[in-house]
Amino acid sequence: MKALLYIAISATIMLAAAGCTKLDVPVESQLTTIPNTQEGYVAATGSVYQKMSSQSFAVDFWRVIELSTDEAMIPNRNGSYYDNGQYIKWHKHTWTSSDLATPWSWGYSGISECNRVLNLLSKADSSTLRTQFTAEIRTMRALFYFYMMDLYGNVPITTYGSTVSPTQSTRAEVFNYIESELLAAVPGLAAPSTVTLAYYGRPTLWMAYALLQKLYLNAAYYTGTARYSDAITYGNKLMSESGLSLEKNYMSLFSPDNTANKETIFVAVFDANKATGNYFTRYTLHGTLKAKYGLNFSPSNAMCASPEFFDLFSLTGDARDTTWLSGLQYDFAGNKIMNGSYQLNLTREITLTDAATMNVGAEVNGISCGARSIKFYPDPNAVNRYQNNDIPVLRLADVYLMQAEALLRNGGSTATAMELFNKVRARVGAPTVTSLSLQDILDERGRELAWEGWRRNDLIRFGQWEGTWGFKTGGESTSRRLFPIPATEMVLNANLVQNDGY
Amino acid sequence: MTFRGKRPFPRYAVLLLFAVLLHLKVFAQTGDIKGLIRTEKGEPLPGATVILTRNASSFSKVTRTDSIGLFRFSKVPADTGYVIKASYIGYTTHVSERYSVKANDQLSVAFRMQENNGQLSDVVVIGYGSRSRSEMVGAVTTVKKEDFNVGVYSDPVQMLQGKVAGLNISRSGNPNENAAVILRGPSSFRSGTDAYEPFYVIDGVPGASIYSVAPGDIESMEVLKDAVSTSIYGSRAANGVIIITTRKFRSGQSHLSYSTYGAVERISNTIKMANASQLRAYLATNNVAIDAINDDGVSNTDWQKEVTRTGFSHNHNLAYSGSNQNSSYGVSVNYLNNEGIIKGSSMNRFVVRTNLQHRAFNDRLKLDMNVTNSITNGKQIPGQVLSNMLTYMPTVPVKNADGSYYEDRSRTTGTSGYYNPVALINDNTIQSKANILLVNGIATVNILKGLDFTTSVSYQRQRNDTDLYYNSSSMLAQDYTGYAQRTNVSNTKKVLESFATYERRFDKHNIKLLGGYSWQEDRNGDGYQVSGYNFVSDDLKWNNLGQGNGTTVNYGDIYVSTLRLISFYGRAFYDYNGRFLFQGSLRRDGSSAFGTNNRWGYFPSVSVGWNLHNERFMKNVNFVNVLKVRAGYGVVGNSTGFNAYTSRLIYGSGSSYFYYNGEWINSLTPVQNDNPDLKWERTATMNVGVDFVLFNNKLSGSVDVYDKRTTDLIGDYTVSTTQYPYSTMTANVGAMSNKGIELALSTTPVKTGKFSWTSAVTLAHNVNKITSISNDLFSASQFYTAGFSARGQSGINGYQIIKEGMPLGSFYTLKYAGKNADGKSTFVAADGTVSSDSTAFTNFQVTGSAQPKLIYGWNNTFRYGQFDLNIFVRGVYGNQILNATRADMNAPIYANTTNVPVSTLSESIKDDKDHFISSRYVESGAYLRMDNATLGYSFATKKNYQLRVYASGNNLFIITKYKGIDPEINVAGQTPGIDNRSYYPKTRTFLLGLNVTF
Repeated sequence: MKALLYIAISATIMLAAAGCTKLDVPVESQLTTIPNTQEGYVAATGSVYQKMSSQSFAVDFWRVIELSTDEAMIPNRNGSYYDNGQYIKWHKHTWTSSDLATPWSWGYSGISECNRVLNLLSKADSSTLRTQFTAEIRTMRALFYFYMMDLYGNVPITTYGSTVSPTQSTRAEVFNYIESELLAAVPGLAAPSTVTLAYYGRPTLWMAYALLQKLYLNAAYYTGTARYSDAITYGNKLMSESGLSLEKNYMSLFSPDNTANKETIFVAVFDANKATGNYFTRYTLHGTLKAKYGLNFSPSNAMCASPEFFDLFSLTGDARDTTWLSGLQYDFAGNKIMNGSYQLNLTREITLTDAATMNVGAEVNGISCGARSIKFYPDPNAVNRYQNNDIPVLRLADVYLMQAEALLRNGGSTATAMELFNKVRARVGAPTVTSLSLQDILDERGRELAWEGWRRNDLIRFGQWEGTWGFKTGGESTSRRLFPIPATEMVLNANLVQNDGY
Repeated sequence: MTFRGKRPFPRYAVLLLFAVLLHLKVFAQTGDIKGLIRTEKGEPLPGATVILTRNASSFSKVTRTDSIGLFRFSKVPADTGYVIKASYIGYTTHVSERYSVKANDQLSVAFRMQENNGQLSDVVVIGYGSRSRSEMVGAVTTVKKEDFNVGVYSDPVQMLQGKVAGLNISRSGNPNENAAVILRGPSSFRSGTDAYEPFYVIDGVPGASIYSVAPGDIESMEVLKDAVSTSIYGSRAANGVIIITTRKFRSGQSHLSYSTYGAVERISNTIKMANASQLRAYLATNNVAIDAINDDGVSNTDWQKEVTRTGFSHNHNLAYSGSNQNSSYGVSVNYLNNEGIIKGSSMNRFVVRTNLQHRAFNDRLKLDMNVTNSITNGKQIPGQVLSNMLTYMPTVPVKNADGSYYEDRSRTTGTSGYYNPVALINDNTIQSKANILLVNGIATVNILKGLDFTTSVSYQRQRNDTDLYYNSSSMLAQDYTGYAQRTNVSNTKKVLESFATYERRFDKHNIKLLGGYSWQEDRNGDGYQVSGYNFVSDDLKWNNLGQGNGTTVNYGDIYVSTLRLISFYGRAFYDYNGRFLFQGSLRRDGSSAFGTNNRWGYFPSVSVGWNLHNERFMKNVNFVNVLKVRAGYGVVGNSTGFNAYTSRLIYGSGSSYFYYNGEWINSLTPVQNDNPDLKWERTATMNVGVDFVLFNNKLSGSVDVYDKRTTDLIGDYTVSTTQYPYSTMTANVGAMSNKGIELALSTTPVKTGKFSWTSAVTLAHNVNKITSISNDLFSASQFYTAGFSARGQSGINGYQIIKEGMPLGSFYTLKYAGKNADGKSTFVAADGTVSSDSTAFTNFQVTGSAQPKLIYGWNNTFRYGQFDLNIFVRGVYGNQILNATRADMNAPIYANTTNVPVSTLSESIKDDKDHFISSRYVESGAYLRMDNATLGYSFATKKNYQLRVYASGNNLFIITKYKGIDPEINVAGQTPGIDNRSYYPKTRTFLLGLNVTF
């Protein structure tokens, strides 16, 4: 009997225990869906803007589009920044499909984020906010597509949730898609007089117009069909409909405390703590300049300008000249800044000790090669290498110069073109002009928009991408105007066809 | 004359008398048996089970010895052919036969029981039970207390180093570092060491923390190696299972034992770095200027000497135990203080254990209660000390004239920076405290003969606290005036195990059945991290974070998660007449960590064994005592080291914000794709083994051959963000194989009178190969791992490669081609040409493997009278180590900013590629280490007192070609075998110890 009792008790316990086969545990600390609230949708759009406020944009993407131009270069500094010849390849236009993966993954992750967020928004309850957010994200997606088309040519147009590997569209198709997307976004976009803090870092109607203007200005190169009159139309719409005007203080546009202003249209917003990624100073200045600019870190002495580009800054009275450090260096009190036993000398010239590895060798007699940009002025408030300077993407001065260029190229009013050109000149105290050539415009764009990420686009449009600067000999095939589809992407997607020449 | 009246004895009375007499006769036919059971040493053995049976009858009586070892059977029918069988855990079952009980007599018996030590009579602890060695069908190695390694060990697994064939263990000299353990080669390529760790079962508690146990409290460890042995643990057993059995109650009334040791540890090896005059001369000869900040012209600092010290360590273990007829109890306290050989590093651990057992209802109910609490306090040093003690300039002083630490603040900040190592130790305080509480209750009910039901409930709570303070002069917090951070996290584990066993022998048929259910819930990461900075004073350290003037709080990446595992398991064992053995087992495991489509999995195993020595044809083969062949196949899984939410789509804010309406706010974005198909990595193992005891027990051993194949390996695959919300997908794709052979031999070559010599050898050979990393859904041609940064060498994806056909831990570097005429390093380019410029990643190739070809250990014990001497040698052979530390140091072009080894001084200062990581720095990792020599003396004492003193030396010498500090570099994890500027030097230890038992 006792045995039976034991069996009964044991069996009961065992069955009771074994009855529990539930494996679902609550997920207490992570979100597995986006909350269906206004705050939820605001937060959901954030990932798109983070693509801009990131190191992927300010360093990885920026380096590819700028170190391949005359604006910036990183010579091998006695073994430092040789980095297996990466920067040399960009400088000399000898890259391969293995060297340029980061812009693609950055751009397409931005596009995918937009696709994903648009899909989320399509399920939200109808509201004015939803309409505006949808238009903003479509504009952002158009910007990413613009970059991808500009860099890689024939790129895929992707849709959310498809499990099929996408195929490429022709550059003209992508051009048309961007144009239609921007036009479709226009009615939903906000049109504040200037881009106030409420819209700072997000698309407005003016961004759509400026991007359309840029798209049309490049149309001849992108599609073979010139669209200069369309560029002029949208430039005019922007200038007439908005209250944008040039800021008086050029340097304030790029300073560590730059913020919403009358001129900036679209900007990548950075913060030394909350959105890190901008570290121009860290990669530009020489270590011995740390004290002068009150930095909390030692700059690592990497980037400088090619001598040819630096020479553009030779107009009299041009405030933009102060964006460069060159020659013997002094602190603000006029004391010499010492590099070892000699005064720091940032030479215009870049002299190599080993041509094959583009090595400038050890620093002798205080000399450190290359002029350094302080346009994105060193930030003494940054506790580490990350600075607070926001990076403008589109601003009114660019619109003026694009408009001037479109007018010249379209046979339009030279007087209007000169007027716009001279507004840009006058603001910085540089001499105004009485005649205007396309080359003048290219040079002015170099001076005005240096290190703002447009030089590559400009040089190609002006047919000077195959030119000579620094240690680049020039005359390379025009197939280099397009970057190769990254090798890693070719592996992931068998449908991709490599660009000519790679 | 005739009686008239009544007859004095009426007829019924006669009958009655007869009946009474008959009855008396029956009573008179019983006797008593009284007995005393003692141990070999003469101590009484309480609680031993005594069974009385009679041949060819169903007679059976059971009793148990009382607190002074006495037992008694009353009224035993007078007869012959009685058999007394006595058993007790840890003792060989004693059987006495042919007792005769005479009527009205008392039979007195006395015998001594022997502790288990013979190989085949051993009881082997297996999952959910135990077996005699002769019943074993899987590959299990048992290491008993007396065979454990001797030394200052905080991690119990170190006591097995070199003692178990196939178990590869490595550990540096860092008192706060746990050993890296890998069994029979890696069977995963996930990152994180958890994915490679064996599964620990402590006194029946699966998944208990090994750091809750003091090494001195461990009685034995069983290493379960093949799937036949481990598959009962299903989805967690792919890396093998180590079962730890702690000291339970000792027999006798009560015992008090105390053991202690004191040890002195020194750095076992240093790197010969250039001294100041050598470095100055080298730079001067080569006309290379040295900035004043890097050379004060007079200093000559030996930084390795400045940061190291002689460490003193000591351990105390006090244990008290006793038992009576129905209950047993034990308490032990252990304290270990281990001072690191780098100043500022140390750990101490305090462990309290109690265990109670109560037996009731004629021993049909057994209740066990175990409580352990372990508190570990660690003091750590910043990792940068280990690189800067080598490369910091010898030409500068430790301190400036004003007493502050010398620093070159002009150099770039960063976590791997150039900092005064002495200042690093003194300006930064990092303390950790781990408190582990383990409570376990077990109830075992005997329901029917042979049928037992066990329920075990356990609860483990581990609280980890880390406090950190970088003071106002710290180079690690140059942007702050003091940085403090506190982390408090709890991990709890609840386990319910419920199982029934049925074990009976019917004549020649021996049956053992097991069926059970298990429920486990782990709740990890319950806690938070907070920080503060910019303090007015360094005095308060982390103790008053609110006083900091800083505004940003570093909350770290801490979040709570719950993981649930539910299992059903069963096992059937049958042996026929001790000759043929069969076993089958099946476990069904469910885990909440895996995708909804694949949460449940089956883990089966089958095996057979044949005890040849019990066969008639072997009767005359006299030199064979035991000969067994066994073979088995089973499948196990690997689900350890998993985040509970691995298979889910997760939205996170990451660490970045976005700018919205003039404010920085958190965004929400997918940070992980969901994979509803995610499941465990699956390892199928075929194991064939032979066990033998030969030449009258003089030679014993076993040989095991295995073929271990892992499929569904989990990797992070890059997926196109055009199709998925997130750019990588965690998926089951790859496959890997480990094939090997293991040999363990034990022999007693000499045993004469007072002198004996026993010798044991273990050898293991394993070949690891990644057989696939792609399938039709996800593909990768290779994964680059170990992508650490090295000076002037960015753009490198990794220094190891995971690729089909290669072993895990394949080094992927430049191929060194010697120096050219200018004294510059040259490398073989991808196209076969040799040049000093072919340093791009495209020129990299496979240049070695971290997987050893052979692991071995050799132990010798000599006894002479009261003396014992143990000598233990172990080593590995056939592996390579990437000596990235040497590569980094060997940079003559930076000799004016970071120090170089003496060997570099003979190289050209113009060689700007000298330090480039290449095959030149992929060095042989083979070594033979004189791991331990111990000389002990056991005093002859009265009665049951024991007293032993011993002296021991660890790591007495090493034979190796490796040019780093020590070749014992981490063997586990995704990137084994890399020595990269973070190696805490191994120590050499001298130790004096004492064990005493009253």
